[in-house]
Formats: sequence, C-alpha cells, structure tokens
Amino acid sequence: MKDTVLLLAMNGLIWGLIIALIALGLSVIFGLLDIINIAHGDFFMVGTVLAWFSLSLTGNFWIGFVVAPLVGFILGAVIQRLVIQPIHGAAALSIVATFGLSLILQETVRITFGATPGRILAPIPGTVHLFGVDYDVYRLFAAAVALAALGGFFLFLQHTKLGIWMRAVRHDRETAVAMGIPAKRVYVLTFGIGFALAAFGGAVAAPITTVDFRGGVDVLPFCFMAVIIGGLGNLPGTVAAAVLLSFLEGLIQSIADPTSARISSLVLMSAVLLLRPQGLFKGFAK
Amino acid sequence: MRRRSLEIVLAMVGGTFLISVPWVIPALIDSFWVSVITEILIWSLFASSVNLLFGYVGLLSFGQALYFGFGMYGVALGIDHLGLSFWPAFGLGIFSAMAMALVSGVFAVRLSSHYFAIITVVFSLIFYFLAVSDKPLTGGDDGINFSLPPLFSFDGKVFSLTDPTLQYFFVLAVVSLCLFLMHRVINSPLGKGFLAVRDNDLRASLIGLNVYVLRLIAFVMAGCLTGVSGALFAFFGRYASASYMFYQVSGEAVVWTIVGGAGTLFGPLVGTALFIVIREIVSSHWEHHSLIVGLLAILAVIFAPKGIVGLWNGWVNRPGEREAPRPVPQPLTLQAEP
Repeated sequence: MKDTVLLLAMNGLIWGLIIALIALGLSVIFGLLDIINIAHGDFFMVGTVLAWFSLSLTGNFWIGFVVAPLVGFILGAVIQRLVIQPIHGAAALSIVATFGLSLILQETVRITFGATPGRILAPIPGTVHLFGVDYDVYRLFAAAVALAALGGFFLFLQHTKLGIWMRAVRHDRETAVAMGIPAKRVYVLTFGIGFALAAFGGAVAAPITTVDFRGGVDVLPFCFMAVIIGGLGNLPGTVAAAVLLSFLEGLIQSIADPTSARISSLVLMSAVLLLRPQGLFKGFAK
Repeated sequence: MRRRSLEIVLAMVGGTFLISVPWVIPALIDSFWVSVITEILIWSLFASSVNLLFGYVGLLSFGQALYFGFGMYGVALGIDHLGLSFWPAFGLGIFSAMAMALVSGVFAVRLSSHYFAIITVVFSLIFYFLAVSDKPLTGGDDGINFSLPPLFSFDGKVFSLTDPTLQYFFVLAVVSLCLFLMHRVINSPLGKGFLAVRDNDLRASLIGLNVYVLRLIAFVMAGCLTGVSGALFAFFGRYASASYMFYQVSGEAVVWTIVGGAGTLFGPLVGTALFIVIREIVSSHWEHHSLIVGLLAILAVIFAPKGIVGLWNGWVNRPGEREAPRPVPQPLTLQAEP
C-alpha cells in the first residue's frame, strides 16, 4: 500500500513537471496575446508524433528532442502570422480559430500517422531502486529534462533581449512599442515559443504516454487547470500549480479511481476561479 | 425597402421549403436527408442557446453540452428507469437541464469574459467525468437505449415519432416555437436589458439594471433551450450518451454560432446547416472531413468575423440604404478678443 502511494505520487510529480512545461506555453500565449488556445493540447500531441517520426525515420530517439521544439516553433510562428494576427485578439474569435486549428492538427496527424495509438519504448531502459520502490529510469530522466527546460525558459525570459521584450510587451504594450520594440514580431515569436514548449513536452512525454491523434484532448483541460490555479499569466504560479495538481491527483488515485481524482481537481479549480480568480499564488510572483 | 422585401421573400422561401421537406427531399434526393434536416434543426436549437448567451448577453459559454446531456438523460432515464410516457419524460429532460443551469449559473455568471468561458467548461467536464464513471446509471460513453413511447393516441390510433414525417414536423414545431419565443424575449424590455449588459455591463449597472440577475435569467433560458434540444435529440436517436457532454460538443456549437452569425436569430441555423451538410456530403466520400470543418472555421473568423448572416446584413445594407452618418457635434468654442 505504501509502495503504491509512493509510486503514484512520484508519477504525479513527474507528470506534473512535464505538464508544467506545456502549461507554461499556454500561459505565455495567454498572458501576451490574450488568446484562449483550444489547440494547445494538440500542440503537445504534435510533439509526441514528431518524436515518433524522428525515431522511426532515424532510429535515434534523441533527435526528436531537437526536431519537436524546432518544428513546433516554426509551425507556431506561421500559425500566429496567418491565423491569429488577422483576428486582432478578439477572445471569442480566437476560440473558434484555435478550435479549427485543433481539428486541422488532429486530422492531419490522423492522415499521416494513422488512427491507431503508438507506443514508444523507453529509450533508457531499466529501473532504479528509490525509496523502496523500483522506478523507471526514463521517467526520472524526463523529469530532469523538464526541470532543466523550465529553468532554461525562465533564464531566457530574464536575460535575453527577446525575453525582456516579451515581458515588456506584456507589461505595457504601448510603451513598449514607443520604445521601439517590434510588438508584432514579439507576438509571432511568442506563439512559436508557446507551441515549441508544448511540442517539447510532447517529445519528452512520448515514451511515458501513448502517441495518439487524440492525445491532446485529455491534456488540454489539465493545462488550463494549471494556468487558472496558478493565476492567468503568472508563469511561476502555473508551474507550481501544474506540479501540485498532478501530485495531488497521483495521491488521490492511490485511494480512488483516476476519474475521481480528475473530478476533485476540477472542483478545486472551480473553487479557485470563484474565490481567488487571480490564482492561488498571487503575492509570491512579481 | 429593398432589404425588407428581400428578407420577406427569403423567409417565405425558407418557410415553404421547411414545410415541404418530407415530400420534396425524398423525391429529389433521398429520404435519408429528411433525418439530416431533422438533425440540423435540433442542433441549431442547441447553437441558439450559445447564441442567446454570447450574441445577446455577451457571455461565451463553452459548456452548453452539460445541459444538452441533462436534457438527453432526463428523457432517457425518465423513460427507461422511471417508466414515464412521452410528455412527462420531455418535461423531465427540460426541467433537469434548467435546474442544472440554475445551480451552475448562480456561480458561473459571477464571472465574465475568459473566466466565464473557462468555468462553464469546468462544470461541464465535472459532470462529464461523473457521467462516464457512473456506468450503471448512465451507460457511460456507450450510453443507454430506450424504446420510444407514443406521442399521443387519438381515436384508438397511436401516433409515435417512429414515423419520420411526424418526427420531422414535431421537431420543426418545437424548434420554431423556441426560436419564436427567443425572438419575443429579445425584443422585450428584458431583451433590451440583455443587450445593455452585453454592450457595457458597467453602464448597465449604473442605470439601475441588475446585471447578475439578468445574466442568470439568460443563463437559465439558454439552459432551457439546450435542454429542449437535448431532449429532442434523445427522442431522435432513442438513446442518451455521456459522450455528448464532452467539451468538444460545446465547442462545435460555439463554432456553428459564430460562423453563422452571433447576435442574429438565424445565424446559428445557417452555421449549423452549413457544417452538418458539409459533414454529411464529405464524410461519405472522405473520412477526414474535420479538416474542412477546421479550415472553414478559421476562414470564417478571418474573413467574416460577424458570421455569414452578419456578412449578408452588411451586403444588404450597402451604402445608400445605410443611415446617413450623423454629423459629429462640434463643441462650442469661444475665444477671447485679443
């Protein structure tokens, strides 16, 4: 019993770190472009599929770690320019547009990859003995990669020109434009980065989950929960909420079924929306 | 007057077409299309509930599938578990959808814009997962089937919706009645209140309107429309399934409404008809019809952000018909003598 609790809690923690990466992409897009991105789960799904294709074409799993974010970035930038920019940040229209995008991505994957879910075997086989349970090495590795990517993203946001531009445009668009920051280009790049984060999350998660054209449908509500509970646009809050939620769901799963775990986090989310719409962690973030 | 007469002609043509469907369509194409048109009518009522909230009150609900599911299950469980006859089951479906809308609306309409959209999805997801996990009651994704009780019996003859023509007219009558009532409400003082809240909720509250109550009324009314459509769909398919409570079902209604034209009475009907007709035509030849649906949704928001009916209205009201722009009043200026 204790072992199961520990195992599920660990699974939750690790899945939470990967979700944090995806939710971070959603939060960046939401915070900067004010867009409810219904297609974000599919960005993740595209990442898993890209990992699958790079593995099947080259025989090397790790190439997917480069291909997925790269292709994701390019796709995201192109989508922003072609689809998102013409609708001028109208929230309702952005929902319809990204819903359409979600259908297109799912259907394209169904045509190219097929409708049968695929499974990638862990590229690092074996287990380690940790706290009295045998644990998959790849899962630990995936958690470390996700953590590194999260850290890298925050460093990027703090210390590079583009990162500073992104924060400036978010903070005060008009002043930023007056200071000579190319806001339109920042939007294009931001959407690309959001897609890249989700796709990278997908590539990292591919051996843990299944590769399926509907794989994003389950991930999307979870990412939204993390973004809401962490506070809209509050990036560190989003990460904390993703890890916390997933960890809690893991714990609840050890005493109840996964559906009850999901329901309890949805109830928690409703409570947060109604009582603290600014998110749980307001005050901790800058 | 051009626009008015054009619209009257269009309404007459549309009305004649809808009444003649059970005879004209089987003769021209295939009797299968009668059931497609029945389905379009049901789903357009569903989309109309999104339209009532978004087009007239400014609340984008992404969780209407919840009330659709309650309408469906109200009917299915009423017939299958409680042994109700047709009309009580219909009433139970509508009532449970409205009750659910009232309970969730009390919380949801406190929020606006993005937050409202998200909390409506969350509520619908909670009940979707509950419905999926409570298989003995709801049948989960597989759903529950039931056999249709008769609509009414007259002079020893039993009339039932198993007759496709009767089913069509029953659906047409119910949907028309609902749209007519919605039209009446929107043009009533209550409807003016809705529009005021949509255009600027702060100003609406400053002129003494109770924004919260207005939104709640609209939410319950939309829940009622959704419940009716869910109940009709349960009668139409003779089953209820949890899969219709998933958020993607709500999303489709939002897309149909916005592509058809939000804030117009017939926009949802046009949008729904367009997408379902495309689905029916394309899906028999090509299994990837969602690709076209997605593409259309994107093209619509880029090139016709007010929807097809909005585009039509803009076209009919071309310059010459449009009201002359009022001269901008210049402020009075005085200048002191130097």
